[in-house]
Order: sequence, then structure tokens, then C-alpha cells
Amino acid sequence: MSGKKLYGIMAEFDTPTELVDAARKVREAGYTKTDAFSPFPIHEIDEALGIRRSILPFLVFGGGVLGLLLGLGLQYYTHVIDYPIIVGGRPHFSLPAFVPPAYELTILLAAFTAVFGMLFLNGLPMPYHPVFNVPRFALASRDKFFLLIESKDPKFNYEETRKFMESLNPQEVFDVEE
Amino acid sequence: MTPQISYEAPKEIGKFKQIALGVGGLGTVALIIAALISEQMREQALRSWLFGFIFWAGISIGSLGILLLQYLTGGAWGVVTRRILEASSRTLVLAAIMFLPIVFGATFIYEWTHPAKDETLKRILEHRAPYLNLPSWILRTVVYFGLLLLMVYLLNKWSKQMDETGDWQLLKKASQFSGPAMVFYVLLVTFASIDWVLTLDPHFYSTIWGFLFLAGWGLSSYAFTILLLAWLSYREPMNQVVGRRHFHDLGKLLLAFVMLWAYLNFSQFLIIWSGNIPEETFWYLERMESGWGAIGIILITLHFAFPFVVLLSRDVKRNPKWIASMAIFILLMRFFDYYYTIGPAPRVSLHGAKLMLMESLSWMDFVAPFAVGGLWLWYFFGELQKRPLVPINDPFLEPAIEHGRAH
Repeated sequence: MSGKKLYGIMAEFDTPTELVDAARKVREAGYTKTDAFSPFPIHEIDEALGIRRSILPFLVFGGGVLGLLLGLGLQYYTHVIDYPIIVGGRPHFSLPAFVPPAYELTILLAAFTAVFGMLFLNGLPMPYHPVFNVPRFALASRDKFFLLIESKDPKFNYEETRKFMESLNPQEVFDVEE
Repeated sequence: MTPQISYEAPKEIGKFKQIALGVGGLGTVALIIAALISEQMREQALRSWLFGFIFWAGISIGSLGILLLQYLTGGAWGVVTRRILEASSRTLVLAAIMFLPIVFGATFIYEWTHPAKDETLKRILEHRAPYLNLPSWILRTVVYFGLLLLMVYLLNKWSKQMDETGDWQLLKKASQFSGPAMVFYVLLVTFASIDWVLTLDPHFYSTIWGFLFLAGWGLSSYAFTILLLAWLSYREPMNQVVGRRHFHDLGKLLLAFVMLWAYLNFSQFLIIWSGNIPEETFWYLERMESGWGAIGIILITLHFAFPFVVLLSRDVKRNPKWIASMAIFILLMRFFDYYYTIGPAPRVSLHGAKLMLMESLSWMDFVAPFAVGGLWLWYFFGELQKRPLVPINDPFLEPAIEHGRAH
């Protein structure tokens, strides 16, 4: 270690199965500040690492409801309160005509919440991340699988954690510098 | 990887078959007796029969559409449901036979088969006569069933051949067939639904009508398939095959069809409401008063809003019991939708008069869905027993099973 602060310890694996097995052991050992990297989604990994489900769906639902109310409110205000004009002999408050714009706003705000909420919850955009200090990590987008334990983890102890990582039969274990 | 198990349908299916035949037979006999009593009763019996027919034949026709769709898109949900969809589609043979009472009794329920009573209707009917007359209506019906059954026959034949030979080229053949067939399918459903249902009201016309039935029949087919798959998933051999993710995927499609149904229905309503022309608005006006409005409210809240909100939840979609309960509820709502469409149409025996909801409701409207449904289910269960419950030589069977197992 070269004087720099340690971000965590990373292990490299050859197959997704090995990664999932290792992730299970890491969780069983009590580590919580962990992450896994793979070139493609592995569904079991969420459960293996104990990653909780995102709250994003609820945010999106809230965004949709907000859009619906906003759409109806906007039209009610403009058609009934601010500038009432009779169009085609219909009442000022004509719900059928209000449905398409209200629907569009529902979709718009739900979609915005989905996109920006996803970015926010993932902490994106993120111009720098320490894991890229490991040169071999570039293979995480090709054919290698990586598992990381952060030094922030309450159970983290350099010697012990490194020994533990080596016991998981990885290809290699790296120190990740800040 | 695939365990060597037999994919025969569970034994209970044989018992269901007996019960279905009993219920269907009793109901049919009751309706036949009623039809012989008086002309008014005959019209009621035939209208109720049409009501039941539209629901159950719709599952056959809708299942054919989903089969075509699935051959075009692929997907694990399609591989595990294919045999259920195929059995439903083959039941179209029985549905075609069950349409015979409507053909022979057409003059009792379709007002356009008689000379018009009033001047306005007379002009409309004269204008439509080159298309809308009994011989050509019967001919078209024969063509609809002929072409739909041809599609059913070919898809089922290739699927069976693949079970026997394991020739994967057949899958390609089926997908290549499904593209053009889908175009004809949409046209056939459009024309058939207009001929069979829309013309009950000889004044009305709507170009979106066919799509209402594409969505409605597709929706009931998905609901029926999910219900049966959920039941099978608790028993051998399908408990080895079906997983939560299959239900998740099917649940998403169910949600999509609920939305499509609502979207198309609202489109028809909005255009007629905006246009505000008496030739069209009467159709909705009649359905807003005399008690019919109550069904309209039920459709908006319970056929659309309630399933929409509930099906947003991932947990509901992934739990076989919950998604099956939702499927039952949607199937029930489909009856309301068909009754809302068929019920207020003018009565021939009352010289084109229209009835209020409470006058219109007859005991036969409750018996007919059981009568048609019993016979339909009897035939369906028989077809389901004939083949393994999954396409055993489909190259995508193994990945499809894996897909369902994954978290």
C-alpha cells in the first residue's frame, strides 16, 4: 500500500456462478458495504448480496399521480376559473376533453421521475469512481466478474478481509485505492 | 437438464370435463325449452346465447391472436402457455358449431333482417343493404370461421409435428406464417365483431369497433390462460415448469391489455362525444340512462381503474394466487362489458324498442354463459388432455423454464 487511502478490497472471478457463491459467503460473513460488477445482469446477485428493492417504483407512482392532478388542475383553472369560454356548447368543466392532456401529463411526470429518480438514486452522473484504479477492472464490461468490500464497512479489517477474500477462490485479489 | 417427466394434464381435468359437460348440457336444454315457448322468449334465449358465445368464443379467437403474437415476439411466457392457448384455439371448432343457433335464429335477434319500421331506419338499411343482407352475412360468417380455423389448424399441426420430430425449422415456419396471418386476423376480428355484435343496433357504426374486440378478447384470453396456469402451477407436472417470473411477465401483459381496452373504449367515446352528432351519440346516451349508466360506471371503476392500480404492484403479479384472483375478477368484468354492449340493443319482438336495464335482464342472461361455457370448457379440457402441457421439443423450452426459476 502506497500511502494512499484504501477504498476497499476487490476480488476477480471467472464465472457468474462463482461470483454469486462468493457474494453469498460475503453476506453470510456479515459484510454490508459491498458491491458486485458483471458484464450482464445476474438476477440472483440482488438476493445473494442482500440488496434491497429500490424505492423508485413508488416514486414513479407518486410522479404519475402528481402529473394527473397537475393536468386536471391546470385545465380546471384555465377553463373554469381564469378564462371561461363556451366551446361547442359544452360546460366549462368537460371531463372527457380533460382526459387526454391529464393523461399526457401523468405519463410525462412519471417518466421524468423514472429517469431522474434513477440517476439520483444511483448517484449519477459520477465522473470518478475508485474501482477504476484497478487496471483489470476494465474487464468487468467484458468477461470477468468482480466483488468489492468497501473499507467503510463496519466489519472491515484490512488483514482479515483480505484473507477472507482470498479464501473465496478468486482469480486475484486487489486493493482498491481512493 | 430437463427432467424426464411426462407432461400429461393432472387427473382432476377429467373430472372438470364431466362437470362442465353436465352444467353446459343442463343450461343448453333449459334455453332450448325457453326458446320453444314464445317468440319473445326465443329472442331472449338467442340474445343470451349470443352473449355467452361472444365471451367464450372470444377466448378461442383471442387465444389464436396471442399464439400469433407469441410466434412473432418469442418470450418465455409464450412457451409455457402455448399448450393452453392451443387448446383454447382448437375449441374454436366447437364455437363455430355453437354459432349455428345464431345463424338459424338471425331473424329473431337482428333487426336489419326485417323491413324497416320507420323512415330514417329504412333509409339507413337501404343504404347498407348491399353489404348487410342475410345471405352475405351468412357467407361472411362462414369465411370468418373458415380462415380462423385454417390458422388454428396450421399452427396446431406444426406444433404437434415439432413434438414428434423435434424439427426446429417448424418454429421458423410458424413465425413466418404469423406475420401475414396477423394482418388477416385483425381484419377478420374487425369484420366478425361488426357483423355479429354491432349490427344488433342497425343505426350505429364505429370504425374502432374491431379493436375493442381485439383488446377485449385478448384480455379475456390472457386472464383465462393465467387462471389455468396458476391452477396448474400447484400440481404435477407444471410445478416443475412454471415460476414466479412467468406470472410476472403474464401479469404485465394483462395490465397492458387492461390499459389497451380502456384506451380504445375511451377513444371511441371521446370521438363520439366531441363530434356530438345525433347519429352516433344515441349509442352512448342510451347507455348512460335507464340503469345502463350503472354498468358504465362499473366498467370505468372496476374494469379499468381497480385492476390497473392493483396490477401495477410487482408482488401481485408474481404471486400465482393473487394474479389468478385478479384474472377471475377481470373475466367477471368482461361479462359486464359484453352485456353493456349487447343488452341495450333494440328488440326485434318489441318492434325495435329498447329496454331499461332491469327490464332487459333475464334469467337466461345468467344461464347462457354457463350453458355455452360448460360446453366450451368440456371441449377445451378434452383438447388440453390430448397433448403434453408444454411443447416438449421446443428449443426455447429449457431457457423458458430457467427464466421462470430465476429470482
